[in-house]
Amino acid sequence: MSTELERQQPTEVSEDDLEVLLGDRALGRDDHLNAPGFVIRPDDVQDVLTDLRDEAGFDHLSCLTAQQYSDRYESIYHLKKYADPTQEVSVVVPTSTDDPVSQSAEPVFRTADWHEREAFDLVGIDYEGHPDPRRILLPETWQGHPLSEGYDQEKPQIVTLSEHANPIQPDHHDEESDTMFLNIGPHHPATHGVLHVKTVLDGETVVDVDPDIGYLHRCEEQMCQQGTYRHQIMPYPDRWDYVSAGLLNEWAYARTAEDLADIEVPEYAQIIRTMSAELCRIASHMLALGTFALDVYGDFTAVFQYAFRDREVVQDILEDLTGQRLMFNYFRLGGVAWDLPEPRDEFIAKTRDFLDELPAKVDEYNDMITSNEIFQIRCHNTGVLEPEEVKDYGCTGPVARGSGVDYDLRRDDPYGYYENLEWDVITEDGCDNYARVLVRMQEVEESAKIIEQCLDLLEDWPEDERDVQANVPRTLKPDADTEVYRAVEGAKGELGIYIRSDGTDKPGRFKIRSPCFSNLQALEAMSEGEYIPDLVASLGSLDIVLGEVDR
Amino acid sequence: MVGEGATLPLQTDTVLLPERVGELTGLDQFGVGGELLAAFLAAFIVGNIMLAMTGVAGPWAKRKITAAFTDRIAVNRLGPAGLLIIVADSVRLLSKELIIPEDADRPAYDLAPIVIASSALLGFAVIPMGSGIHLADPEVGLAFVFAVAGIASIGLVMAGYASANKYSMLGGLRAVAQNVAYEIPLVVTGMSVVIFAGTLQMSAIVEAQAQTLVSLGGLDIPAWYALVNPFAFVLFLVANFAEVGRNPFDTPEAPTEIVAGYQTEYSSVYFVLIYLGEFIHIFLGGAIIATIFLGGPAGPVLPGIVWFIIKIWAVFFLTQWLRSAIPRVRIDQLIEIGWKGLLVLSFANLVITAVIVGLIA
Repeated sequence: MSTELERQQPTEVSEDDLEVLLGDRALGRDDHLNAPGFVIRPDDVQDVLTDLRDEAGFDHLSCLTAQQYSDRYESIYHLKKYADPTQEVSVVVPTSTDDPVSQSAEPVFRTADWHEREAFDLVGIDYEGHPDPRRILLPETWQGHPLSEGYDQEKPQIVTLSEHANPIQPDHHDEESDTMFLNIGPHHPATHGVLHVKTVLDGETVVDVDPDIGYLHRCEEQMCQQGTYRHQIMPYPDRWDYVSAGLLNEWAYARTAEDLADIEVPEYAQIIRTMSAELCRIASHMLALGTFALDVYGDFTAVFQYAFRDREVVQDILEDLTGQRLMFNYFRLGGVAWDLPEPRDEFIAKTRDFLDELPAKVDEYNDMITSNEIFQIRCHNTGVLEPEEVKDYGCTGPVARGSGVDYDLRRDDPYGYYENLEWDVITEDGCDNYARVLVRMQEVEESAKIIEQCLDLLEDWPEDERDVQANVPRTLKPDADTEVYRAVEGAKGELGIYIRSDGTDKPGRFKIRSPCFSNLQALEAMSEGEYIPDLVASLGSLDIVLGEVDR
Repeated sequence: MVGEGATLPLQTDTVLLPERVGELTGLDQFGVGGELLAAFLAAFIVGNIMLAMTGVAGPWAKRKITAAFTDRIAVNRLGPAGLLIIVADSVRLLSKELIIPEDADRPAYDLAPIVIASSALLGFAVIPMGSGIHLADPEVGLAFVFAVAGIASIGLVMAGYASANKYSMLGGLRAVAQNVAYEIPLVVTGMSVVIFAGTLQMSAIVEAQAQTLVSLGGLDIPAWYALVNPFAFVLFLVANFAEVGRNPFDTPEAPTEIVAGYQTEYSSVYFVLIYLGEFIHIFLGGAIIATIFLGGPAGPVLPGIVWFIIKIWAVFFLTQWLRSAIPRVRIDQLIEIGWKGLLVLSFANLVITAVIVGLIA
């Protein structure tokens, strides 16, 4: 990969260095499969995270996992480096059961704001010094914390309409400001689902945005905790980013569980996985392009329909392969469900046809969208997200790459068959809505390259070596208290999963790190001070799927 | 040169539709009352032609045209080419519950749809549609058309303000800002035509365009003002899109930004009226363009009214094309284009036209 040479490789930080850096702030070790883990005191959080970021270069707070044990609560900060995500460290913060108070990491990493709110909401840990300690996924009036021990799942909770309806609030009038409060959503044409953005306007200018999420919360983590590793969890990832990225999500679970249970995936299955995942990425980027055009053009116009027409071809191919159009359930631990459909030649020819037609279609999009002058004045310098803000908010995927942050797990933390293929990571330095569109358009072309190479390999693969699945035991019971956090490059960014095993055939804790969740938090940085139409365009260019934000 | 228009004989010999209706029905023998009735009848005919085009054919055609641009088929199940969808649509829209917000400012809220729909319809009174379909021909015809079309803005503000909805409010404000910014270039560009024709009377403007501009191999190219002054034509076309609020200038409705703008809180019959009003407005825009730039009902072989309708539909087709292909500009950009761009250009056009006409005449 050509861009690899240009990248600045960070210096490796060994575990000894980290121990020296943390000194006696590290109370002990709690290593995870993916990273060394250091246990610290609840009031050292900001101190330790600041040192890890500034001294050791861990500038990416990927995820925060909260969980309750019988004797304590625990917050785990999963840290990585944008420059090299294989360098990871976990900061484990135990707090007592009686008084679970931990220092907030928000002053160090802005992204901790939402992650800590979620931890408070679902598990019940209080974060001291948090600027906005509200619930985030559940309604304000909810009683108890669903993922904590002793929570009564059977007890019905009635959310009263007056509390939850969020009635139109009185205008934010005062003598000086003269602003207006506006609820955008949850029923609004441009929110791409049930998102509610509380907005304060000064004329047409956005003064303050506060996304209110959770309308599509379906307890996905809880459901995964109640399923067995082997078969019962795999269908759920399809339902997180449900628009077309199902296989990419499945891969996140497959990768994590395979690392946990130490399963090797046959090479042939890896190639099928790589190919089908990239097909999903094309479908997902087509949808992102179409809906972004919908937001900017203002109606279901030609661009939207063209994008859907092309996405439809991909959906057909995926249907041939998996038997499903959206909820694929095609990956298995240790491989995929079955081989390419018979007749193989026909499937390969059909996929090649699609790839052959793609360049002309991409040209058409460039003619219609990116070279359109009105589109350019609408998108240049709107929704600006500086690289520092990207890192602060933990943004990943096309959003980060559109701001010049060269970060792609397919290359930086290789999995599947990516490292054996020729392709490039696309970055743009525009930092604006236009740059993000360009990144997605070019990524479609790069995905096509990857698929092309996979097809070549699949076509010539010897018939007697086509192993689609490794031998995996019928029941998986990883050792108790094994912890792992693994991420893959989903369509929207870094999709990570943390699993702690408890010795049974079901996960003790299953935590999903959704890229949309982190990306959406950056909306405030992108849209404050700009106009309402720019807010809508920025939201479109973030390409969020509420199913993944709310889980 | 056409600048001679000032001395053109006014078309006193043409018989207007009310008079003709009066003669045919014999109503003209009953004095003022009879004439009044005949005028009503004539207006009824013209109104129905326009409503049939806008309310009935318009939405169906819009679906079909948009579908053609976006690679779809659109309505095709009910009746031939889906034409019966028009009936189904009317039943659906008229039978819906009329929901009126509690805090709505009542008389204004109820009046707005009527103002929007009727103001545009009023403009057709002075448009010569060919084949003798012409209701009235006042000497200030062009000014009258601009005046009544401008009334729609009041309706939009009323709708936006009276709905007691913040999205409606934003839409209403945008509509005013937009109409103020674009009405001036529109009228000023229209004035350049008046300088050519030397009159505001619609029939005389059409007459003036009937002359031959050049003859190419025996083919007479008429002196349509679109050909005489293409610059003014383009300016007028652009200002007109903003005036009727269509892409790239559909900011007052902006479905993805402010839901539906001023019409957010309207349902059922009120919604139909507003929707209809918008369509009539697009067609009125087309009619003005056809009359002052495209020679009105003039054209070979086919009767005048057919040519006139073809020209209106051509403009309608263009709006749908733009809607499918062009992004919407932002409200601040729209205002900027209006005040800094179109206004300056339209005055430049006016001055240059005046100088040229003055030199030649």
